[in-house]
Amino acid sequence: MATSYRVSGGGTISRRGFLALAGAATAAGWPAIARAQAREVKVGYILPMTGPLAFEAQISLNGVQLAVDEINGAGGVKSLGGAKLTLLPGDTQNKVELGNSEAARLIDQGIVALIGPFSSLVAYSVRQVTEKNKTPFLLLAAVADNLTEGGLRYVFRMQPNGKAMSTLTVNNMLEMARAAAVPVKRVAMMHEDGNFGTTMGNHVEGFAKASGFEMVQRIPYNLKSPDFTAELSKIKAARPDLLVISGYYGDSKIIAETAAKLRIGVHALVGLANAAYSNPRFIADNRELTDQLFDGNYWHNPQSARAKAVFDAYQKRFSQVMSSHSVQAYQVVHVLRDALERAASTDRDRVRDALAKTNLADHILPQDAIRFDDSGENANASPALLQVQNGRPLVVGPARFAETKPVFPVPKWKG
Amino acid sequence: MTWGLLLQAVISGLLLGGVYGLVASGLTLIFGVLRIINFAHGAIMMLAMYASYWLHALGGVDPYLSILLTAPLFFVLGVGVQRVVIEPNRRAAEHNQLLLTLGLALFLENLALVLWQGDFRTVRSAISGTSFMLGDALVEGARLVACAGAVVVCVGLFAWLRLTDAGKALRALAEEPEGAALMGIDVTRIRGVAFGMGAACVAVAGALVTPFFYVAPDVGESFNIMAFVVVVLGGMGNFLGALLGGFVIGLAESLGATLLPGSLKYLVVFLLFVLVLLLRPEGIFGGARGR
Repeated sequence: MATSYRVSGGGTISRRGFLALAGAATAAGWPAIARAQAREVKVGYILPMTGPLAFEAQISLNGVQLAVDEINGAGGVKSLGGAKLTLLPGDTQNKVELGNSEAARLIDQGIVALIGPFSSLVAYSVRQVTEKNKTPFLLLAAVADNLTEGGLRYVFRMQPNGKAMSTLTVNNMLEMARAAAVPVKRVAMMHEDGNFGTTMGNHVEGFAKASGFEMVQRIPYNLKSPDFTAELSKIKAARPDLLVISGYYGDSKIIAETAAKLRIGVHALVGLANAAYSNPRFIADNRELTDQLFDGNYWHNPQSARAKAVFDAYQKRFSQVMSSHSVQAYQVVHVLRDALERAASTDRDRVRDALAKTNLADHILPQDAIRFDDSGENANASPALLQVQNGRPLVVGPARFAETKPVFPVPKWKG
Repeated sequence: MTWGLLLQAVISGLLLGGVYGLVASGLTLIFGVLRIINFAHGAIMMLAMYASYWLHALGGVDPYLSILLTAPLFFVLGVGVQRVVIEPNRRAAEHNQLLLTLGLALFLENLALVLWQGDFRTVRSAISGTSFMLGDALVEGARLVACAGAVVVCVGLFAWLRLTDAGKALRALAEEPEGAALMGIDVTRIRGVAFGMGAACVAVAGALVTPFFYVAPDVGESFNIMAFVVVVLGGMGNFLGALLGGFVIGLAESLGATLLPGSLKYLVVFLLFVLVLLLRPEGIFGGARGR
């Protein structure tokens, strides 16, 4: 210490020099104290709260909200002195340019991580914004494979991507068909013509040869189309064993309804990441139509006691059954909480590094521990194969998570 | 390609086309008289669908019967909107009027979102699940009723325009605004009536499609864009042209879906649209003369 008093060269330190030193010391020490006492951790979300995906956006937000309140109610982030999570909202209206500007705005407001944005198209653009600003970006619902490509460091995806979703779902269906001794040789597919549906269509088609089935019809369609009779007639004429449908809510409803009236004549109607077919609301509104529909989708683990508790809490709070979008949204917030606990910091880079080292076994998904590979994909991500039975979507595959036996082939879809 | 598929395409196209025709009729009526392009047309249809939905959900009213309530209600609503929003801006530049109706559409859609969230709602009428086969082609009961209902309303509206004093005044105003005013026609009132009739048209169309469709804040878009194409095709302000144009577009859409791969069906529709604009900008059914 004595030597430091000599720096001003005058033998003893001047009064002004001492004050400057003291000031510097305080300034260096103060932020650490401030951080320890931080009462909030800002978390941003961007979702298409208005526009055609507003319904899905709202149920996603419900899941986020449930998790945030649960964490805050249980004492916040403990390693940050019990700091509470504060949600900052952003509305993309499902538009790329709004996704970018909302993301940038939230980052300016000091969020530690961004959750969203539902649509793959918007996500593809927003990830440049988060990457440039070194902000962890936890993808929600966006399934397009290319979102984690390009060596990005800040993008993480907990749910199965398009490839995992489609190949594992078709695999589950084929396995089930083999077990039932009903061969599936001809597959037809209808998908919406945006990035989501097209990705799914490409995978199923690309997967055909290796799996030994023929893709007899593949029809992309416009989500806003009010009639699909001509398209489905074409499919019926191609005599497929399975009809796979990747779509959103309204279009998927009209397709299933028209397929039923046309007596489409397949072993099963299978949704692939379908927004309607395993949606409790859709099932409740269309009981007869939905009975024995299949859907490969992200889901929860029905064997998990924790999942049951979360579902009860959701039901109580929002007076509706929790759907898969809310499950993903709920779980992704807990992945972030886990990373924040381990990072013990709101520094975005530290949070990012903690996310990269995630190994979370306590979760509600139908998979092993959540771990991210180098590209930011959940290495163990897996969809569940569901079938609607007695008005409830039940897990029928993979076998270790199944809660009941599948009905296959489905008599009512047979001609 | 089999005859069965073609027959199916023709039937589906005609059934859908009738509804397009009714929506477009309202649009073309408003354009003919007020000379504004009503971008809020689809949004008004959406509101009407919610009206039918709530009458069904809360009062157990069949969506078809709800027309008896919603059509007069939306007529009054249309008159009100015209009086309060459109009329004060009647002399504004055309692009401002365009923005005005666009703004109205955005307002109504977001109002619906605030009031009823983004939930998709479905209404089941007794007829929703019915269908029959005509040869190899499927005919859905609800779509058949929608098409027939749309045609009946269009024909009734046409008769109203031809035979009643109010209808004649409306046509006079569309043809020669100053002359109509000089003849003592209350042009302000008639402009309101035109907008009200346009709104009533989509109220009926909304109730007719609800049993086989779904209700959501952005549902009007599915019909609105097609209605614009139909109006241009049939001739701006041409009433019969709108109905016929509806059938043409419905057919183009479903034949496109049958004959072309993937989602190219709208290519046919919009190609038709561009061709008409280039070669016959007054519409294939002879411009405003068919009124």
